[in-house]
Amino acid sequence: MARGRSLSGPLFLLLGLAAGITVGRRWLDVVEVRGGSMAPFLLPGDRLLVEAHSYESRRPRPGELVLAADPRTPGRELIKRVASIDDAASAAELRGDAPDSSTDSREFGAIPLSAIRWRAVFRYWPPQRAGLLGPGH
Amino acid sequence: MLTIRSLLRPSRIVDAHCDIPCGVYDPEQARIEAESCLRIIEKHDASDDKLFRARCIHVKEERAELVKHHLDVLWHDYFKPEHLEKYPDLHDTFWKATKQASKVKQSLDATAAKDLLGMIDTIDEMWKATGGPEKTRVNGRPS
Repeated sequence: MARGRSLSGPLFLLLGLAAGITVGRRWLDVVEVRGGSMAPFLLPGDRLLVEAHSYESRRPRPGELVLAADPRTPGRELIKRVASIDDAASAAELRGDAPDSSTDSREFGAIPLSAIRWRAVFRYWPPQRAGLLGPGH
Repeated sequence: MLTIRSLLRPSRIVDAHCDIPCGVYDPEQARIEAESCLRIIEKHDASDDKLFRARCIHVKEERAELVKHHLDVLWHDYFKPEHLEKYPDLHDTFWKATKQASKVKQSLDATAAKDLLGMIDTIDEMWKATGGPEKTRVNGRPS
């Protein structure tokens, strides 16, 4: 991927990002983070590129940042890190990076894999913290 | 016109969410309010003072509403999917108990208030059997 490349890397990614989003928000989208449960890795106001292609062909993996509907509040979408996958139950345990200020699977239980479509892959804002969001930072 | 700026504008907010769950739960909270309802109904029935009786009704309705609130918090915050496996009738138990609390709110029926206490005791047993006293009270439930 583009990590470690010079200036052309981010530019290439940005153009690819724009092209991808033009193609359709079905597989690629941009979201803004609210709340501090993923601090310090993600901070409120961070803007992320998310994609919905990977999980059509494979399961989420521990360490990945995923979006999931809040099982307790309709209409709210959460961003958390996958802590573990229960293959038998087809469910994922989700955790915030800041356990003391996170409402996650410890409260609402494991999330069915079918409810997890989106994976966060890239932070484009703020520019000084832009970069790929590799799992298990 | 589509610009890069508009494309990079987030389409939605995702929550790195925390409702600061304090993790302290105890059905005793609901029980104390339910006991208040029962005692107030008894005091209401024993009094001829119109004003006092009106106050009884008002306060009892507030207490019954608190019972519903405390039961709701236990229901959706304390109890978890694995508890449902152990108690398949958990949802039904809570549904009936909160309905009973509504009944106590609406009426001056002492029997209804006693029945509500029994239902809260059932929930208390579930809470105890799932480790509630050790897990959700600071230093356990006082004896």
